[in-house]
Amino acid sequence: MNVAALLSSLIFVATLVLIFTEKINRMIVSFAGGMLMVTAGQVLHFYEMESAIEAIDFETLGLLMGMMIIVAMLEPTGFFQYLAVLAARASKGKPMRLFVLLGIVTTLLSMFLDNVTTVVLIAPITLLICEILGVSAIPYLMTEALLSNTGGVATLVGDPPNVLIGSAAGFSFNDFLVHSLPIVAVAWLGALLLLRYLFKKELSKRPRSVRAVMKLNPAQSLNEPETAKKILIVLGAAILLFFVHHLLDVEPAFVALGAAAVAMLWVQPDVHEVLKKIEWSVLVFFGALFVMVGGLEKAGVLESIIGLFRGASSVNPILFGVCLIWVVASLSAVVDNIPITIALIPVIHGFGEAGMNVTPLWWALAFGAGFGGNGTIIGSTANIIVVTLSEKTRTPITAALWMRRGLPVMLAACVIASILYTIFYNWF
Amino acid sequence: MKSKPKSDAVGIRDCMKSNVISISETATLREAAAIFVKKHIGILPVVDKNNKLVGVVGLSDLLNLELPDFVRFIEDLDFVHDFGAVETTRPTAKILDKPIKSLMKEAVTVEEDCGLLRAYALMLQHNLHDMPVISKSRELAGIASRVDVGASILSAWEKGE
Repeated sequence: MNVAALLSSLIFVATLVLIFTEKINRMIVSFAGGMLMVTAGQVLHFYEMESAIEAIDFETLGLLMGMMIIVAMLEPTGFFQYLAVLAARASKGKPMRLFVLLGIVTTLLSMFLDNVTTVVLIAPITLLICEILGVSAIPYLMTEALLSNTGGVATLVGDPPNVLIGSAAGFSFNDFLVHSLPIVAVAWLGALLLLRYLFKKELSKRPRSVRAVMKLNPAQSLNEPETAKKILIVLGAAILLFFVHHLLDVEPAFVALGAAAVAMLWVQPDVHEVLKKIEWSVLVFFGALFVMVGGLEKAGVLESIIGLFRGASSVNPILFGVCLIWVVASLSAVVDNIPITIALIPVIHGFGEAGMNVTPLWWALAFGAGFGGNGTIIGSTANIIVVTLSEKTRTPITAALWMRRGLPVMLAACVIASILYTIFYNWF
Repeated sequence: MKSKPKSDAVGIRDCMKSNVISISETATLREAAAIFVKKHIGILPVVDKNNKLVGVVGLSDLLNLELPDFVRFIEDLDFVHDFGAVETTRPTAKILDKPIKSLMKEAVTVEEDCGLLRAYALMLQHNLHDMPVISKSRELAGIASRVDVGASILSAWEKGE
């Protein structure tokens, strides 16, 4: 390995370590790491600013940004609150039914929208429903985060790692529906049944006031019905276009950004408010990680990795995929799954160059990164959100409780994914 | 508890109530609640054994113990027509037996010679309806409400000063 490869590897690994220790904000670390990579590249003449900008996957950033704009506009309309109130009324105050309905609402939303936004908006209204009903909110809040993480794996736009994998592997929206959705559906059902069992004591308690839930007024909970209608029409059209984007020869990012443009033209929202809600730190974080991986590539590190994997094609591919699910899930339970995914993308490309059929490996990476986040409180942002909210209430969710409820869900989802991956390997 | 506004009032000393109801720093939340019920007051100064002011507890601080958690997270509650189970929820005995110090806040105070406009501006800035008045040695000397201070300021207008 030459000096450029050594130095760029060192910068990349040091940045990842700093991100994982969470001592400094991940965006700041990755941004500084990216700039350090470019500086090293310019000094040692292996990486220039122009190449760094070329390394940024604008397809991923565009898809994320387009969906963020749509969600930012939908958020103040109260649509999420409206759905939760409808679910509460439909449950007729029966805890088990409420548990399933809120789980379904959260999952469906997080399949198409950002998990974090979904949980941020559903959790407070869940707390309200539980408090007026007179039941503990803990099972409902935890289940929402866990099912949102699980459901998000099903679609191209459901989870940031999927956006990355889709772009890197060239998977379409429908590829996710055909390959990921069936496995996620089984894992989701398994997770729901397991959670029902784990929370059976809390869910069997009779609520003290069903009447109050039935008096919730869904129409009043929707702040801006006209705006909500417009954005939902645009979002619906975008989802339909996602189904056929490959036939129309347009990228998912084009669909998402186009939908955002139409929604903004139609609604004409307060632009500053919309821009404030976009998670710029996530977009910069992604961009900076791309710049760093671009540096590794230009320094020849990826070629060296590919060289290391020359013999990999002789490994049992099914066993290899299952191992990948578990390794990535274990890592994702304790550290951020975005850098793990970005770091593994060139490695999987490396296996491909070495002659291995890597298509199944991309799916293994998606399952591991998605299901792993359920294992601990810090495994996903959705988990952190419900725990932070619960800490401001009289009944906080503790790390020990998460271990007893969330970890089994992660293990169950990974077991289900591993079994189905093995049985239907040829399907991938 | 009788206010004593003077027509020639120039300081808070002249409009404050000097017979102040206070509570000892060793009291419990339950004892504080009983005083609020009995005296119909909005703020309770907390004093040490030398009658020195150590903090205040407001009626709203105690009521917050019963307010459901969701109120802090949901901006618009118009669609909630019935608070259901939380209407009958009460703080537990364990909470009520906590010392008053657990809920007490640092008091915004003025000294007896404080001017009325300054006192009013401080109350406005800190969103206070009542403000304890202390002596130079931090002993509780009185309490003045926004109405006490405001009425005293306006009384000067009548005289055309």
